[in-house]
Amino acid sequence: MSDMSLLPHGPLLERLLAGEFICAVSDESAFKRLQDDATREAIDSYLRPLNRRVASSQEEGVYFLAWRQLDDSARDQLARQLGDTVNSLLPLLEWLQLVQEALGRDSVLSPGDVLKPGELQAKSEDNPSLRERIERLATDSFFGSQSDQLDAQVKQVFKRLREHGYLLQPHADRQVFLVTGKVDYLLELVRFIRDEEHLPVDDEGEDTQEALL
Amino acid sequence: MNDAETPGLESRLITTGVERLALLGRHAEALMQGYANDQVPLEGLSHTALRKLLSARIVWRPDEQGGLKLTPKVRELIAEMVSDEARRHVNADVAEALELIRSLIQSYRDSSSRGDYWQQEQQLLRLRQAVDDMNGRFADAIDSLWQRLNSDFGFVSQLNDKVRENDRAQKQVVRLLDGLALIDFDELIELVGSDGTLRKVLISQLQQQLSQHYTSLREVQHRLIELMARFRHMQARSRLVSGMAAFLREHPGFTPGNYARRSDVPALFNHAAPLTAAGAVALDRAQDIPTLSALIKAIPTPLRAAQSVTSARPAEHVEDTLIAARQQALKDDVETFYLNVVDRAEQTPISALDYLNQSELQWPPEIWLFQVIAEHQGLPHSEQRAFHLHQQEERASAYNDVKLIRDVSLGLAV
Repeated sequence: MSDMSLLPHGPLLERLLAGEFICAVSDESAFKRLQDDATREAIDSYLRPLNRRVASSQEEGVYFLAWRQLDDSARDQLARQLGDTVNSLLPLLEWLQLVQEALGRDSVLSPGDVLKPGELQAKSEDNPSLRERIERLATDSFFGSQSDQLDAQVKQVFKRLREHGYLLQPHADRQVFLVTGKVDYLLELVRFIRDEEHLPVDDEGEDTQEALL
Repeated sequence: MNDAETPGLESRLITTGVERLALLGRHAEALMQGYANDQVPLEGLSHTALRKLLSARIVWRPDEQGGLKLTPKVRELIAEMVSDEARRHVNADVAEALELIRSLIQSYRDSSSRGDYWQQEQQLLRLRQAVDDMNGRFADAIDSLWQRLNSDFGFVSQLNDKVRENDRAQKQVVRLLDGLALIDFDELIELVGSDGTLRKVLISQLQQQLSQHYTSLREVQHRLIELMARFRHMQARSRLVSGMAAFLREHPGFTPGNYARRSDVPALFNHAAPLTAAGAVALDRAQDIPTLSALIKAIPTPLRAAQSVTSARPAEHVEDTLIAARQQALKDDVETFYLNVVDRAEQTPISALDYLNQSELQWPPEIWLFQVIAEHQGLPHSEQRAFHLHQQEERASAYNDVKLIRDVSLGLAV
């Protein structure tokens, strides 16, 4: 065990304990510190009595806390969480598709991408099909918008994504958002479920995208 | 020999060249339309102008009925001049250039051995140009490749097109590298022999330039492969998102296995429940007291309007079922009292306390009276008017004007 002092990592520990995902976008300096094996070991031994340890996604784009020992209550919590995740998959994936198409982007959002709700709204205002898709998405129980106004719907969608850690709003008074590493984590989950359940979803080969749509 | 003729030929070529290059400028707009669209518009072109353009091989007619088109060389020239990466042509044919260089060296050496210095000069000039052409071909190709790389293939908008363009560029790099490999300096050294001028043009200069090209091409290749990996990654993400979304739309009831119950829970799904590190004010350390009191002083006074007593409600206490049942029984008894008053033949009011005493009810008189009054007040206005409730009051004492209700009597209002 390392006897390095955890004193400078107080705020980081608190964020990890609160269930946050730490990535290079959400907290660059904390992320860099977590990349250091010695720091992670020190935090792990500190967290041992709390039955937690530092874990990372497969591509090490995000760090978060995992259960150290999977007792029954931990498994119950994970099962509930898995249920929530599965329910949120479609709305999240549809949102990723929507943004990609609406903003005419080459690819799915990646960590560090900048998003402005105003831009999405402007693109949708004169596009009834896009509007309709936003409305359908915003009123999905995951996003839970009650409004029939486009701007309120877009706002609600961004608010929920921020609450779930997929987006970061660096300045509370500015409507500019950054995509966090949790988006990559989400895609890793999707890939895992696909492989595990042998779903007929292909991410290789030519132009299957059009065929599926 | 042809000493006299050749300069004449040169000057004729130059005159024609100048004339024909000027054609490009004179018809620039029409030609650029031909570049941007499929055909060069005929409007505005006189018969003579058209004939001149055709004989300069700036434009041509692929067939008699077809329109006027730019010749490939002109199209390439324009693409090169405007760095139009979508159409820029990379010519990696080194073999032909080498063949030309070989024969020029031979001619140069022949002239040299004949002592024909003028001819030798001309051959050297053409040889220099041939070497420059070959060199320039690589330089242009590398420039074009860098342009495409630096713009992330921005001249095509779709990711799939970018992947294809990247693939094409990688093939070009391979052809260019193959071309470089064809240049055999041992052979050139042998061909050049001891001629210092040729050695300078063909060996020292060219070798240096080609080794630079080689380095650049390797770098370009490396970057193209990296970029391709990124494109493929982006493609895979897009496909994963759209494919999974389509699958979930088609299978609304889809539930994956319960990974949380597996003996080996997948690491990705093991995200521990959040814990809040809560803290509260503690007064057990003397040195904290000044800080805490400063904090308390700093708390802004809440801007709350004073609550008036009338609007304050009594705190609701939880009624247990026993109390609720007693309350209901009292209410029922009072209702029976009211019905009694209605049913009675006499219209004289009846005293509530008398009724309580006569019936065998066990309610304390005070509570009984309170409920009788409350029942009257709880009636709708129309029904209230049907009853007459008289309160027998008396002063609390000689010195106290508070009225106490001793009894109430209830009768029908007539």
